[in-house]
Amino acid sequence: MKTMLALGVAFALIFTAGLPAADAATLAGKVAFEGTAPVAEKMAMDADPTCQMLHPDGAVADDVIVNSNGTLKNVFVYVKEGVTGTFPAPTDAVQFDQHGCQYTPKVFGIQVNQPLEIINSDNTLHNVHALPQNSKEFNLGMPIQGMKLKKTFTSPEVMVKIKCEVHPWMSAYAGVLEHPFYGVTNEEGAFEIKNLPPGNYVVETWHEKYGAQTQNVTIAGADEAKELAFSYKG
Amino acid sequence: MHRYCQAVAAATFLLIIAGGLVTSTGSGLAVPDWPLSYGQFFPPMIGGIRFEHTHRVIAGTVGILTLILSIWLFRREQRGWVKRLGLAALAAVVVQAVLGGITVLYFLPDIVSVTHACLAQTFFGLTVAIALVTSKGWREDLPYEFDRDPSSLRQILIATDVFLYLQLILGAVVRHTEGLGIAFHIVVALLVLLHVLITLQTASRITGEKKILRPALSLGLLVTIQFFLGLGAFIVKIVLKNTGAVPYPATVFFATAHQATGALVLATALLLTMRVFRRLASRNCGAPVAVPSES
Ligand SMILES: [Cu+2]
Repeated sequence: MKTMLALGVAFALIFTAGLPAADAATLAGKVAFEGTAPVAEKMAMDADPTCQMLHPDGAVADDVIVNSNGTLKNVFVYVKEGVTGTFPAPTDAVQFDQHGCQYTPKVFGIQVNQPLEIINSDNTLHNVHALPQNSKEFNLGMPIQGMKLKKTFTSPEVMVKIKCEVHPWMSAYAGVLEHPFYGVTNEEGAFEIKNLPPGNYVVETWHEKYGAQTQNVTIAGADEAKELAFSYKG
Repeated sequence: MHRYCQAVAAATFLLIIAGGLVTSTGSGLAVPDWPLSYGQFFPPMIGGIRFEHTHRVIAGTVGILTLILSIWLFRREQRGWVKRLGLAALAAVVVQAVLGGITVLYFLPDIVSVTHACLAQTFFGLTVAIALVTSKGWREDLPYEFDRDPSSLRQILIATDVFLYLQLILGAVVRHTEGLGIAFHIVVALLVLLHVLITLQTASRITGEKKILRPALSLGLLVTIQFFLGLGAFIVKIVLKNTGAVPYPATVFFATAHQATGALVLATALLLTMRVFRRLASRNCGAPVAVPSES
């Protein structure tokens, strides 16, 4: 009985620490895009000659990116409801780069109190302004190439907008969560959420232009691999 | 002295346009630090920094001009109340700079931006008033007898000024909250238009004095222009908002021009009011006011 209890405690600890657990599932899927992809607007970067030079063929807006396989990029997918337990913030920083006068990544997830490393890779000045409602707002100048800053968000929030006040076309979105169950769609419109323990969940997708969608998911347990399909209409 | 005061007022008008451009282009936070800009006096002039930093440079210049003005008035001016006007202008410019700093460091809280906008035009009014009272005409004005009882003109002027100042506050709120209280602003606009028309009509009825009729006419003209600029700003900023139908320069133009013309309207109304009251004061005294010599 005692060993059972000890085992139970050990399991509980493993779960709450968010470590890979034996019977956790992987949630994967795709976000399709129906209809014709909008023509990306040209972005005039003449406000800063350095930015313009970095895009000799001209830059286009990055708010809607429809992949060649008919899927939507930069959709934030996360478990909105149903997660129990606490998940300490990873000490590894999320890298957030200002490169070519655009943000990389454009959409990303981060845990509460996880460090966000902001980098300026450009030979020009950027001004990174985060506009959270629940955490402390910051607006910081990064005038030197190679400069790095570390910041954190202290409360969950989907999404926190980040923009550059010098280059009005620059914007990015961070999904700040108390747990690690999130992903962002890639060049194939695919996302993956790993190590999700058994349970009933509400999964939400969020896109800058096309908004949010939700689906209910039940994970029965034991190395389950769930496939989810979402679809946005253009 | 008078010339210098006029120059300060002109520089202040330029500053109001520069400040308006900061808001219209959304460049208020392009420079995150204050009072220095990226820790420098002259940051690279790119993107929104061009507007924000230009505004800071002109503001700094106006600040120095105002300091000189107040010292000059303090040492040379004989009328105590004019000295105090100079000190008030100096105090206003300092408070204005601090508000500008606060609005940057606290990410443009609406209340601070609105106060900064209202104080800007109040300060402009102060510089115009100082320029007026240091003019030769003001000192040498002989008591002027109105053709008819001027009390109606006095009343309508006070009402007009009150509505204009209210309109300034409402306009600043609309501008910094993206349209809050727009209905109220439109209603007061109609009231202002009506009052300015009555002012014009009353002034022309009771006096033939050019120094009153001219600013009254200017006021009528400016308010008319202002009305249409406001209509334009309303259409491009609120009615057609997010439709993509309006080219960006048009939104910048209407909002900034509406604000700058508003400053001119306010200053003209102030000038007219002061001239009328100056003459009424002369009449009540029954004798010309002693004229201190120009320094
Ligand atoms: Cu930038």
